[in-house]
Amino acid sequence: MSMATSAQLRRLKPLYQLVVNNILAIVAVPLAASVLLKAASLGPEEILARALALRPAHMFLCAFLPAAATVLYLMLRPRAVYLVDYACFRTNPNCRVPFATFLEHSRVWPGFDERSVRFMTRLLERSGLGEETCLPYAQHYIPPSRDLESSRAEAELVIFSAIDDLLAKTGVSPQDIDILVVNCSLFAPTPSFTDMIMHRYKLRKDVRNVHLAGMGCSAGLISVELARNLLQVAPRGARALVVSTETITPNYYMGKERAMLLPNCLFRMGGAAALLSTDGAGARFRLARVVRTLRGASDSAYHCVYQEEDDRGNVGINLSKDLMNIAGDALKANITAMGPLVLPASEQLLFALSFIARKVLNNRIKPYIPDFRTAFEHFCIHAGGRAVIDELQRSLTLSDEQVEASRMTLHRFGNTSSSSLWYELAYIEAKGRMRRGDRVWMIGFGSGFKCNSAAWECIRPAANADGPWANCIHRYPVHIPDVLKH
Amino acid sequence: MVFEQEQEEVAPGAVHGHRLSTVVPSSVTGEVDYALADADLAFKLHYLRGVYYYPPGDVARGLATKVLKDPMFPWLDDYFPVAGRVRRAEQDAEAAADGVPRRPYIKCNDCGVRIVEAKCDRDMDEWLRDDAPDRLRQLCYDKVLGPELFFSPLLYVQITNFKCGGLALGFSWAHLIGDVPSAVTCFNKWAQILSGKKPEDTVLTPLNKPLQGQSPAAAAAAPRSVKQVGPIEDHWLVPAGRDMACYSFHVSETVLKKLQQQQGRHAAAAGTFELVSALVWQTVAKIRGGDVDTVTMVRTGAAARSGKSLANEMTVGYVASAGSSPAKTDVAELAALLTKNVVDETAAVAAFQGDVLVYGGANLTLVDMEQVDVYALEIKGLRPVHVEYGMDGVGEEGAVLVQPDADGRGRLVTAVLPRDEIDSLRAALGSALQVA
Repeated sequence: MSMATSAQLRRLKPLYQLVVNNILAIVAVPLAASVLLKAASLGPEEILARALALRPAHMFLCAFLPAAATVLYLMLRPRAVYLVDYACFRTNPNCRVPFATFLEHSRVWPGFDERSVRFMTRLLERSGLGEETCLPYAQHYIPPSRDLESSRAEAELVIFSAIDDLLAKTGVSPQDIDILVVNCSLFAPTPSFTDMIMHRYKLRKDVRNVHLAGMGCSAGLISVELARNLLQVAPRGARALVVSTETITPNYYMGKERAMLLPNCLFRMGGAAALLSTDGAGARFRLARVVRTLRGASDSAYHCVYQEEDDRGNVGINLSKDLMNIAGDALKANITAMGPLVLPASEQLLFALSFIARKVLNNRIKPYIPDFRTAFEHFCIHAGGRAVIDELQRSLTLSDEQVEASRMTLHRFGNTSSSSLWYELAYIEAKGRMRRGDRVWMIGFGSGFKCNSAAWECIRPAANADGPWANCIHRYPVHIPDVLKH
Repeated sequence: MVFEQEQEEVAPGAVHGHRLSTVVPSSVTGEVDYALADADLAFKLHYLRGVYYYPPGDVARGLATKVLKDPMFPWLDDYFPVAGRVRRAEQDAEAAADGVPRRPYIKCNDCGVRIVEAKCDRDMDEWLRDDAPDRLRQLCYDKVLGPELFFSPLLYVQITNFKCGGLALGFSWAHLIGDVPSAVTCFNKWAQILSGKKPEDTVLTPLNKPLQGQSPAAAAAAPRSVKQVGPIEDHWLVPAGRDMACYSFHVSETVLKKLQQQQGRHAAAAGTFELVSALVWQTVAKIRGGDVDTVTMVRTGAAARSGKSLANEMTVGYVASAGSSPAKTDVAELAALLTKNVVDETAAVAAFQGDVLVYGGANLTLVDMEQVDVYALEIKGLRPVHVEYGMDGVGEEGAVLVQPDADGRGRLVTAVLPRDEIDSLRAALGSALQVA
């Protein structure tokens, strides 16, 4: 295509979008106009005469059938689910882990050899993490404690602070909670975290509680979907508390396998609590869609993030070298499912045309990548690591500003697993970029290999910057160099 | 099979169960480098070891490790160089070709301070009464800077819990970051934050220019107060030929009064530091058979301090005994010498280019800690019952630290001497310290 033609096409694009997205209106208006003209030309007496000539049975059906269909549709339609509010765990400076300290701990403890320490140093330099990420109290010891009591202490600290924050923000009493969903992948003691929350907050006897373990970093959106489904069958106006966290204390890898050292360097303390309800009063977001894609049927995807023992018996999570490719494929599958649900008609039409063209005419025509910026104003991409964010930015052709929330969350909080999406949303709101009517796309990845998406629509943005970013938002965004030398 | 911790062979009554952790500044310091002045580098081979003993009781019981650690985060915000690590500056090819060693500085990378938790199965009273030499070393984590300077903390804090509920806090402080008054003020600030008081602001100038504008030209030979040692690479400890130990003893008020009365005919009334040091000088000379003709004096001159929170500003000088052997001179005369005949070499020591041992290098070193308020380290209102300060990295000649005791009227003296001299010292002092 010559430069001139493509420039012209670009100018025409907004017009094209306007036409296609409002096609119904564009078609309906002339049709209605012509009907009115015809009626006007006939005259009122003529219309009345024709109406009286109709048989009563037909008239009854004309009125009854559409009314019945409408009522049935309204009753069987799924209930709208709203996010009343959410709160993220605010990290404590007492848990802070600067780079130098992390490296020194790995060096001082004799269990890590020279090679492992060099590898972790290189990883950290390129990781995109900043100097304020936090690890739990037990991991400030050399060697870190991984006992049950410390793990529970970390979980309690994170979960209870997030829930306290949330209850204060929403003014909801613990007795009003009907559904409780907690996800924590790598630590699931008995009694479960849901029972721990019940015990602490004295929830009602008939709460529907579920703990999701082993579901990986994408479990945050799985919990949201589960809560949404439970809300469909709960009484109207029910409230669901969704808590997403990951407990790091028991999962520090103490061996020498390089593929298993990566989580040590990236995973950090964090958690979030969200209140969902079918009652939209005072709610801040509406949940539009949740789309989940599971790739576990394929061998490589299943083994991509795999918890196992190394040959010395140390338990850790093995990340395969294909991770980026598998993530890319999972993302493609997910956006293929998500696209038709969220994209405006103009983009879908272009995508369909390009698809047909490739199949029918010539496979070498470049596939049309739908512009998701027409469907969403804000993007929250799981801050799994710098490579993941780079890969997604490339695949979805997003600008730096659109992935800023993810990059900055990775810098300030590290990879907090399933709760990272909530920290990113908090960033966007703390920066004051959220407006009423804005649509947010949350994309989570995790072991399995799973790619889950959720689409939200903003009803009421946050009133202030209070939250996990409160005391540092003024310093962001920061420029993160490719390699941070120490 | 997971990595197994080696079971320590615990001698009964020894301090055991060490657990290491780290405390960092609560906010990001940023890319700051703290320059080490010449005076700082002169003291780089020495390590201050101070132990504070707190009595058992309700207050001590309430001092869980977390309670002690929490105030350290804001404390290190104020004292961020202490949380840094030593690095060597980059140098150009010319200097590298000349064989000039790269100048050390502190990179303030928030790496932190090491905290050690330990236990002892004895009662604190018993421990103190035992008077074992070198008990200091068990209660202060005795590491030094190096062999990997990158990963060597400048400060260790050891928290030892005794069976009776008493608590000992042991500080291991690298002398190059600050002298004794700087160190003690630094620790006191932590205790103030712990008790909820707001301490004074710290004055830190990372560029850390030296006290005077110019330093004199570097001498070829080391000043007489100090001893030059071979070029030190990255392990900043000069192993003394003999095993050194710290031994603390109390000089009561009565004994001090006796020493003062004995001065009588000497016009210049010597201070308590001079008297006590003179006594020890004489005793050590007797033990060694008399070749302790010169002593090095390291003093805190309050007037000379610039007000910087971290600095090495103690004065270093020497005193030569005039002709007669100190073993045969009386204490009063030696005290007079110590008052009047000090040759100040502070600037020369700082300017000297090579690596030196200040304490115990060239001569027996007398350290004046009288003006240092060690008993002010009150934790939640609990005052220490006993404080002793020793030194590591001391040369064979030995060092003597004189500090105030618990009520301020007597003195506590810690002698750092070769282990085999400790018993002789104890015996020789025994009679001198008896109340007449």
